[in-house]
Amino acid sequence: MAKKIAIDPITRIEGHLRIEAQVDGGRVVDAWAASTMFRGIEIILKGRDPRDAWAFAQRI
Amino acid sequence: MRAVENALNITIPDNARIIRNIITAIQYVQDHVIHFYHLHALDWVDVVSALKADPRKTAQLAQSISDWHNSSTDYFKTVQAKLKAFVESGQIGPFTHGYWGHPAYKLPPEANLMAVAHYLEALDWQRDVIKIQALLGAKNPHAQTYLVGGMAVPVDPNSQNALNAGSIAFMQKLAKKALEFVQKVYIPDLLAVASFYKEWANYGAGVGNYLAYGVFEQDNISNTENLWLPRGIILNRDLSKVHPVDQAKITEYVTHSWYTYSDGDDKAKHPWQGETNYRYTGPKPPYKFLNTDGKYSWLKAPRYDDRPMEVGPLARMLVAYASGHKRVREVIDGVLKHLGVGPEALFSTLGRTAARGVETLVVAEMLPVWIGELAANMKKGDLQICNNEKWDPSTWPKEAQGYGWHEAPRGALGHWVRIRDGKIENYQIVVPSTWNGSPRDAKGQRGPYEAALVGTPVADPDRPIEVLRTVHSFDPCMACAVHVVDATGKKRAKIRIA
Repeated sequence: MAKKIAIDPITRIEGHLRIEAQVDGGRVVDAWAASTMFRGIEIILKGRDPRDAWAFAQRI
Repeated sequence: MRAVENALNITIPDNARIIRNIITAIQYVQDHVIHFYHLHALDWVDVVSALKADPRKTAQLAQSISDWHNSSTDYFKTVQAKLKAFVESGQIGPFTHGYWGHPAYKLPPEANLMAVAHYLEALDWQRDVIKIQALLGAKNPHAQTYLVGGMAVPVDPNSQNALNAGSIAFMQKLAKKALEFVQKVYIPDLLAVASFYKEWANYGAGVGNYLAYGVFEQDNISNTENLWLPRGIILNRDLSKVHPVDQAKITEYVTHSWYTYSDGDDKAKHPWQGETNYRYTGPKPPYKFLNTDGKYSWLKAPRYDDRPMEVGPLARMLVAYASGHKRVREVIDGVLKHLGVGPEALFSTLGRTAARGVETLVVAEMLPVWIGELAANMKKGDLQICNNEKWDPSTWPKEAQGYGWHEAPRGALGHWVRIRDGKIENYQIVVPSTWNGSPRDAKGQRGPYEAALVGTPVADPDRPIEVLRTVHSFDPCMACAVHVVDATGKKRAKIRIA
């Protein structure tokens, strides 16, 4: 029997991830990965001093 | 930083390059071990089953795979008692909401107890070894000592206020501790766990295209190809050919992402022309399902030459393997032989998890070498740490553009910058988890997580642990630094079934 499942949030990761999957006959037959958070660092960096970029953008 | 250095044509000094390499190396080692024990192991290790283990047999098992000192019957008895008290308290912290007792768990209770013991040991170990980054970067994870042109941490063997011989000795001691744990705990555990889950070499391959920018620069040229782990692309799982990487072929789609492009959402944009116009069109929470025919993610869809690409330790190890990297080949061939599988097994959930272990070992082996390189440089009197020639914006051209590549622990990371009149005109970042977690593109091609999940078995849709195995094997980092936790600091797994 086909079933659609959603796992939200996926835990034991960094950040927020949602997975939707179509399960049929005991297997995933299709899947969708959705990030449920917006980052926006690119917008924050516009107009700033290029020498400061690393401090905003490191670790992403 | 590298993007800006590239745009302004700045060459950094040796010491800066070496210090950046050492920081990167210890981040790999710490991140990968944390990922294996604290983020991924519980997909394979049934914590509650460890309560049923015989500590004497656990000690025998541990001693049969490693000469690590914590392996006595008494030691495992103590760990088991601690775990028992923890479970009986009803507040099991990081073990809450696990799928304990799920039939997909295959390890015997003794292997589960051994892994739980090492889960706890790894917590202490990682706190110690990352002091290397704390020393070089002032703190972890957000290092404070980077600088356009080099680093902002002085090097001087004769100063108490700089990296000196004492700092080198301190780092070497930690590097030894790092390597010993990887050799005697992580790798034996990885092989022991993998031997019970060999069927996972058949699932989770995904897109089969792999991209690595390469890492551990061996000279100071901006975006150099002289890298200890090589740059390259593997297409359609074909290890007989490594393709070059052309930055002009990298683009991002927003067809299924909550963004708009000024000239239409069906065409991809190169990062220098990239736009970040956010527009949420998804359902109002709480909702049951997203409209996946339309826009459904905050991630854009990066493509290389219009292909989805997997990035990360597996991509780096495959590119190194196919490029003939001696040490990587030795270790991968050893792992494959131990598990009795061929190289095709690497294209899988298990292969992804194994490649991360292989990488941790080969990088941990190099850590003392690179610390030694820094020491040798200091010894010969090279104390330069930064090239300040182009620090002053008056030395910059009116317009400049550049890109900088790095391999974060989770994979290929690229920054693209355009500078005008001394300010950032446009900055676009394509991070590893955007490659791997990408939604579909204009052609409807699935991203790597999506493709990897197709074919994954799910014994019980109410408890889809198998889905977690494949997703976790990529080590997702959806936020990376811009992390939001709710006011109570709690995160709960919710599963909804249609």
